Amino acid sequence: MTVPIVTLIFGFVIGYLGQRARLCYIAGYRDFFLVRDTYVLKGMIGTALGAVGGFALFHLLGGNVPGFPMLLDTPGMNLQSAWLFAIVGGLGLGFFATLSGGCPYRNHIMACEGKKTFWVYALGFWIGLVFFNVVTTRFLEMIVQALR
Amino acid sequence: MHKLPPIKVSAFQAGLVMGLGAALIQAYFQIIPPPAYGICMVCHPKDLLNWLADHLLGTSWGNVTVSVQAPVLTVVGIVVGALVAAKQHGEFHLEAAREPLYHFITGFCVINFGLVLGSCPIRIIIVAGYGSLIGIVGYACLIVGAVAGSAWLRARARKQIRERIATVQYGEVTSRERPKSAPVESPTFANPKGDEPSPSGKG
Repeated sequence: MTVPIVTLIFGFVIGYLGQRARLCYIAGYRDFFLVRDTYVLKGMIGTALGAVGGFALFHLLGGNVPGFPMLLDTPGMNLQSAWLFAIVGGLGLGFFATLSGGCPYRNHIMACEGKKTFWVYALGFWIGLVFFNVVTTRFLEMIVQALR
Repeated sequence: MHKLPPIKVSAFQAGLVMGLGAALIQAYFQIIPPPAYGICMVCHPKDLLNWLADHLLGTSWGNVTVSVQAPVLTVVGIVVGALVAAKQHGEFHLEAAREPLYHFITGFCVINFGLVLGSCPIRIIIVAGYGSLIGIVGYACLIVGAVAGSAWLRARARKQIRERIATVQYGEVTSRERPKSAPVESPTFANPKGDEPSPSGKG
């Protein structure tokens, strides 16, 4: 029962902090590119520093951080399709998340602030999730088979 | 209800907590495998939905190892936490939806491309921080995509401003009432005689 409790508590903390700090992981690039505003970008730098520092520290302290730093050692992954998916997925996610007004995390928080625009966004998001499970997964499997 | 004092957090502090927390719950609370999975706003919704569908509807959509036995509840936590924070600080206001179809489609595309990448804009930073070269390439592509999206937004905003200026100069009302060939006065210059109304009808 560790997983649901830990993720629920951690989710509560980051949801609360994200609402207070107006943290967004797409608005950082957008604001910097458009108006040279670095407030949100600093949050992303903080995440990167926290993640790298945390993994390095817990690796030294004997926590469960296997294979850090990972580099190309990705067990059970088809490398060719992984590169392709990283490039296509990265470009598409960056583009559409910017058009949607923020990252999924920020948009769910804005939905919780009562903005019905992002209720519609969340509807598209969760319906898209079902679509991924039914259609897109099959398509991706075909690509993985073709590149094997 | 007793009112709690307002809490101020900077984006940097919140980001630091998120990065450190993601590393902590992987290292000491078994949120692994896959590695660097502490936060993800596309994979955790997928795990939750797939877990529910597999257990309630009998589908076989499958899950990552960490979410086979019990569901991952990050999304529920984020929604509850954001609701509590918004209510506590008086920032919960119902606002009507604007451009619903546009936001529906972008939400749909975000989840599908996000799952092709296998991470959300938060997790890709954490994966890149874990040292994965594929993650770093994905992160670079995400930034390129975000810059392209920003350029598109700027182009759209400029187009809207041009249209708005054209509407103000030539007047929406007058263009409907007058034939196109009729001369239109600019509303920015006041009529010196003051005996005729200006084209926008405000003078």
